[in-house]
Amino acid sequence: MKIGRRSFLSLGIGGIAGIMLSPLPWKLMDDSAIWTQAWPWTPVPPKGEATYVNSACTLCPGGCGISVRKINGRAVKIEGIEGHPVNDGGICVLGLSGLQLLYGPTRIRFPFKRVGERGAGKWSEISWEEAISEVAQKLGDLRKNGQSESVACLSGNDKGTVPALFKRFFSAYGSSNFMRIPSVSDSYELAVLRSSGQKAQLAFDIENSDFILSFGSGIIEGWGSPVHMIRANSIVRKAGGKIIQIEPRLSNTAAKSDKWIPINPGTEYALALGIANVIILKSLFNKNFVDSNTSEFNKFAAFVKSVYSIDNVEKITGIKKETIEALALEFAGAAKPVAVCGRGQGKVQGSLGEVMAVQALNALVGNINKKGGVFTVSDHRYFTLPGSVPDATKLANHFTDEVKSGKYTAAVLFVYESNPLYSLSDSKSVREAFAKIPFIVSFSSFMDETATNSDLILPNHVYLERYEDVYAASLPIPVISLSSPVVSPQFDTKHAGDVILKIAKKMGSPVADSFAWNSYDSYLEEAFGDNWKVLSEQGFLEDRTVALAALITASKKFDFTAGFTDIKSLYTPLVTEGDPDKYPLFLIPYDSMRIASGYIGDPPFAVKTVEDTVLKGNDILVEVNPVTAKALGLLEGNSAIVETARGKAKVKIHLFEGIMPGLVAMPRGLGHSAYDNYLAGKGVNINELIGSLEDPASGLDAAWGIRAALIKA
Amino acid sequence: MDSKIISGELKRCSTWQFALWISAAGAVLLWGVYAMLLCWFKGLNQTNMNDSYGFALWIWADLAIIALGGGAFFTGFLRYIIGKDELKNIVNYAVIIGFICYSSALIILGIDVGQPIRGWFIFWHANVHSMLTEVAFCLTCYLFVLIIEYIPIILENRRIDNIPFFHNLGHNMHSIMAVFAATGVFLSFFHQGSLGGVSGVLFGRPFAYREGVLIWPWTFFLFTWSAAACGPCFTILITKITEKITGKRLVKDNVIELLAKISGWMIGTYIIAKIIDTVYWIKVTLPATGFGLMDFYSNNPFYGIWILVLEIVICGILPALILISEKGRKNRYGLIIAAILAVLGVCINRWVLVLQVMAAPVLTFETWQMYFPSWQEIATTILPLAYGIIIISFSYRYLPVFPQEKELNPWTINGGK
Amino acid sequence: MKEEKSDKSAKKFGMVIDLDKCTGCGSCMVACMAENNVPFKEDESKKLVSITWMRVYRLTNGKSFPDTEICYLPKPCQHCGGKGEHGHSPCVSVCPATATDYNKETGIVSQIYTRCFGCRYCMAACPYHARYFNWWDPVWPKGMEEYLSPNVSVRMRGVVEKCSFCFHRYQLAKDKAYYEGRSDIGENEYQTACAQACPAGAITFGDLNDSGHAVYELKKNKNAFRLLERLQTNPKIYYLSSRQWIRRAGDNYLKNEK
Ligand SMILES: Nc1nc2c(c(=O)[nH]1)N[C@H]1C(S)=C(S)[C@@H](COP(=O)(O)OP(=O)(O)OC[C@H]3O[C@@H](n4cnc5c(=O)[nH]c(N)nc54)[C@H](O)[C@@H]3O)O[C@H]1N2
Ligand SMILES: Nc1nc2c(c(=O)[nH]1)N[C@H]1C(S)=C(S)[C@@H](COP(=O)(O)OP(=O)(O)OC[C@H]3O[C@@H](n4cnc5c(=O)[nH]c(N)nc54)[C@H](O)[C@@H]3O)O[C@H]1N2
Ligand code: SF4
Ligand code: SF4
Ligand code: SF4
Ligand code: SF4
Ligand code: SF4
Ligand SMILES: [Mo]
Repeated sequence: MKIGRRSFLSLGIGGIAGIMLSPLPWKLMDDSAIWTQAWPWTPVPPKGEATYVNSACTLCPGGCGISVRKINGRAVKIEGIEGHPVNDGGICVLGLSGLQLLYGPTRIRFPFKRVGERGAGKWSEISWEEAISEVAQKLGDLRKNGQSESVACLSGNDKGTVPALFKRFFSAYGSSNFMRIPSVSDSYELAVLRSSGQKAQLAFDIENSDFILSFGSGIIEGWGSPVHMIRANSIVRKAGGKIIQIEPRLSNTAAKSDKWIPINPGTEYALALGIANVIILKSLFNKNFVDSNTSEFNKFAAFVKSVYSIDNVEKITGIKKETIEALALEFAGAAKPVAVCGRGQGKVQGSLGEVMAVQALNALVGNINKKGGVFTVSDHRYFTLPGSVPDATKLANHFTDEVKSGKYTAAVLFVYESNPLYSLSDSKSVREAFAKIPFIVSFSSFMDETATNSDLILPNHVYLERYEDVYAASLPIPVISLSSPVVSPQFDTKHAGDVILKIAKKMGSPVADSFAWNSYDSYLEEAFGDNWKVLSEQGFLEDRTVALAALITASKKFDFTAGFTDIKSLYTPLVTEGDPDKYPLFLIPYDSMRIASGYIGDPPFAVKTVEDTVLKGNDILVEVNPVTAKALGLLEGNSAIVETARGKAKVKIHLFEGIMPGLVAMPRGLGHSAYDNYLAGKGVNINELIGSLEDPASGLDAAWGIRAALIKA
Repeated sequence: MDSKIISGELKRCSTWQFALWISAAGAVLLWGVYAMLLCWFKGLNQTNMNDSYGFALWIWADLAIIALGGGAFFTGFLRYIIGKDELKNIVNYAVIIGFICYSSALIILGIDVGQPIRGWFIFWHANVHSMLTEVAFCLTCYLFVLIIEYIPIILENRRIDNIPFFHNLGHNMHSIMAVFAATGVFLSFFHQGSLGGVSGVLFGRPFAYREGVLIWPWTFFLFTWSAAACGPCFTILITKITEKITGKRLVKDNVIELLAKISGWMIGTYIIAKIIDTVYWIKVTLPATGFGLMDFYSNNPFYGIWILVLEIVICGILPALILISEKGRKNRYGLIIAAILAVLGVCINRWVLVLQVMAAPVLTFETWQMYFPSWQEIATTILPLAYGIIIISFSYRYLPVFPQEKELNPWTINGGK
Repeated sequence: MKEEKSDKSAKKFGMVIDLDKCTGCGSCMVACMAENNVPFKEDESKKLVSITWMRVYRLTNGKSFPDTEICYLPKPCQHCGGKGEHGHSPCVSVCPATATDYNKETGIVSQIYTRCFGCRYCMAACPYHARYFNWWDPVWPKGMEEYLSPNVSVRMRGVVEKCSFCFHRYQLAKDKAYYEGRSDIGENEYQTACAQACPAGAITFGDLNDSGHAVYELKKNKNAFRLLERLQTNPKIYYLSSRQWIRRAGDNYLKNEK
């Protein structure tokens, strides 16, 4: 009964020794280590053989070639294709994050029909059959009532076979309201049209130039084809070329340039004209070119001489006379100079006068349609279709105003590869206009702002799930790449091309008669005809004949006056909105490679790269010169309210020596209300604060900023 | 109620009073335990540490309490190896305080690592080049030594001592205690040093980096020295606080004064070495890395040159002078103030060599990083305090910790058994 | 630290980053995240708890408008060789559990996640802040785990991680060469994800010891410098800049030093 002290002790000690000698504690220790190395909630990616699929990125107009690594059917990494004419292996933040979009939580999984209030987020899942019938029915009814024109489309893009299908549909249906989202291309196109009578785009040959005079173009900030331009910048650097950046803020392009010249915002055109004046006065221009390839030179020369004297330009732009003179000498003296315009990433149209003034400089040095200069690239067709593809492009920047004012009644709006509710300026007006459109159909793959506020969603495949021809933006030698399905569709989505074909078929004759194809894929292959083999095998087409064609057709004369009898009306200084007393500062947007501001919202990886001087928690920081901040009693990190005639927003202050006093700079691309928790609610959408500023010469939106007040909060 | 287990004829407070006191400390302890569990289950995101502050409050707490626990090894060293016999009257308490300090340090380390369950990798996959490996081995071994030193004190409890086996065990352990004490002293010299080595070897961090001999930077020796110098002051301070709370005198003045005098000389010599080290660092080590002294004491909201003055002059030279002078250490206030300053000094030294190291930028384009601990870090740092109070309270109540208590408090002896 | 290899052909992989070309676009950061299964959280604006093995710093010359200048500086782990190039990098020498290691064959400082127990001593030791701790469990939104690569293990909460020079790519290249009966790999066969992605071509990666590799000559450029050379950490990342203030920002100098 009694356990002796001794036996108790020996039992204890013996027991412990026994346990320690047994495998038990060691096994438990080992298990504990293994368990912490593979916690069930830490994912273990399954292994497998790696394969690569070549495709093209469509997340911005860049048109980069991509190679996607796959493991057992899963896409695991996107890389740039080495040797691809657009990006040669390089790839941007957004392109690298593509898989977060493909597999992300904001994908729309099936066709949805709104059930609650618009924008309340109440949806019911419907079948593709029902969805297509509903659209066909609605369009059919309108057409019957002679209201075809009340159907409109806002497209992010007007190049390639899918926009062509849309345009063809609109034409067959009887509406001319297929519009692309506004961008600097609109003013490039208009400038080329008015100055040379051509329907063409401007493409600046940066990589072959030796002196780049950039009027605020964000050459390394996502301008044109972003990766291509960054490569071009490196090529220029290596070749010993010079880049001069003219803009009020020390952007990355300015920081990398050989010389940054701050300028009073909105006066870039005046500087260009001032430089032109010096070149003409000093007879530094290319006489041969001017004589044989331009018209109205004398009128232009007289005009700049009288209005844009170097003293005057100094006053307007805030740039010293000597600097202007030196710029003129260097520009005219360079072997292959090019003057470049289109601010930031080129998201805003800009004034016609600015593009014309810059083109005048290029004309003076005779570098239009020459290597290292600027090319007018005509709207070539790589694909042919039986019948014609109508040119139905309209200016989209007037659309919302007309809808809002009732000048145009929109009954149905298609939204394709764009997110107008977020990306058009003066968001409040856009919302009001959209509220007047009874039926909005979104083709979006993601729950973006516009999809959230639509009535029917017909979700498109993501680019990694579909075929499509992809056009690199603004290259002198156009490149078309083929986006190919990397993975099978992850959800019950359909190619927008197929959806248009189905809607047309459902509507029956006569609309259906223009659409003989059974599927988008067969249409694509047929459309490319002989080119299909190269496109599908090589992955891209490079059309060197276009650049050559541009050189040859250069006989078309460049009209220095753009057909304006009164040149002054082309170069009217624009007054930005707002009472200078109430709004003593200027708010300007800036672009960044790290913040996607187009129809795609920044994916988590990209948001992660945003500096804490731009975004802190959910607060956006605006850049202010310390001198300005001091006058307003603001310190680094202070909260403040930015107010403009269009709205106000809470911000934080970031002191930045690289911005002109009197300005407030805010990044584009933040302030999303849609998408996921990695993006939504962070910062402010600058479009809520900026309105449009109509260029009387062209009707384009020339806003580069807006008057603003900054009040300590 | 528990009078049967209370030692001998010593008078102790009533059970309910004791229970109240323990529950107050226990509440704080539970708060700390709650924070500890949060850190274990939710991870170290519960703290305000970050990638600039990989080491923060906890590492400081570890270094500081181990330095303060240095009273145990140094008193043991004086008692068993040098043969300062009077110190037998305080060595028990020094051992208990040491035990509390070392076990607390290990608890904090257990919270501080990101993967506590893998903590034993430090032994299994030991990297002999790492000071932390040395620390881990010596610390653990020394904790065992302290436990062995603590056991005989526990065995002296009246009830346990009644059991012949334990009585004999205790007796036998006492007789070989000098061996353990010597082992402990050896281990302590090493791990106190290794702790100094932890920051001293960081050649990527010019604020911390010190040259030295062989693999040991000067901080290795300075840490051992300062722990030996200031640890006893902590023992004295805790003894004085215990006396204040219990309202009794527990250790004779001559014992305290002896310890204080030795401590004073230790602090004095230490601070001379520390000054030499600092001057050499300023004149030779730092400039080689492109830094000037004031790079580390300006352009930030907290770390000014005052901290160096406070550490060396006010918390170094001053307590040394007080304790070395007979008048100083015999003065009630002088002794207490000097002890407090010495304790503060060693804590500041550890703080600076952990947190200022993290705060100061090394890359020219980085800036100072400031840090304030989260409540979870504070709670877990206070945890050892509550834990210490409880151990001391139980030890004092049930164990004959102070051999001189009976003699010093004849009128409070319990009447009979 | 492994036993010393007397192999004369030991490699020393490193980078030369041309700061004149770097645009600050951030591709290198994201290429690294995508290649190496780096996790992300809802709020990544607290940069001190944000894991980016490659981090692009923004340097300014400190002058006021309009003389301000900016330079971007991408910073991966420097794969320090330590004093005398003996492999005693600041971090490797301190890790108590040998969870980070200097590979004598390649000069790459590895990080073994399943060995690391999260004491963060290495972070305290690294003057470049190249090490990142997993303060949280890595969590991907539902479905997004699909893109995780099996070549790099996902790190659990509580361990340190850092740039590995995409070591798995080296292993894959070596395996491929082995199967094809070759003993060595070519310069192009092993490139890091960041170098590959950089649109500006600012990052050149290769064997600093191999005269056939581009980095061999590039590192000798008169504008080349390394970060904190005075600390004798011996980094394997070289930077190029034609601007003096940037080269000077690479290290600390006494006030009276020229
Ligand atoms: N990292 C990052 N990169 C980005 C973004 C970002 O936010 N972050 N944003 C992206 C977005 S959404 C945009 S809008 C861009 C801005 O880049 P932009 O160049 O402003 O893009 P678009 O506004 O579409 O203008 C390109 C135009 O070029 C025309 N075009 C297309 N192909 C050709 C061709 O082959 N030749 C010629 N001459 N013209 C052609 C089309 O009409 C098209 O409208 O930046 C993109 N890049
Ligand atoms: N989350 C997660 N946990 C896992 C697994 C998993 O897939 N995911 N797999 C489990 C399995 S099956 C295993 S085998 C283990 C493996 O676990 P790990 O050992 O972690 O496996 P790896 O990710 O292959 O290697 C980790 C790191 O080791 C480094 N490394 C590679 N080669 C060397 C070298 O030669 N020397 C040194 N010092 N370092 C090198 C690389 O930098 C790499 O980042 O993990 C287990 N636990
Ligand atoms: S630049 Fe545009 S097309 Fe190229 S990878 Fe980036 S997002 Fe895609
Ligand atoms: S990807 Fe290249 S250009 Fe872009 S930030 Fe990195 S190093 Fe610079
Ligand atoms: S940079 Fe830091 S982490 Fe990388 S090897 Fe050097 S010390 Fe280690
Ligand atoms: S945190 Fe990990 S890698 Fe760093 S020292 Fe500790 S165990 Fe080693
Ligand atoms: S080398 Fe690899 S691991 Fe290191 S930063 Fe570049 S991509 Fe990341
Ligand atoms: Mo394994």
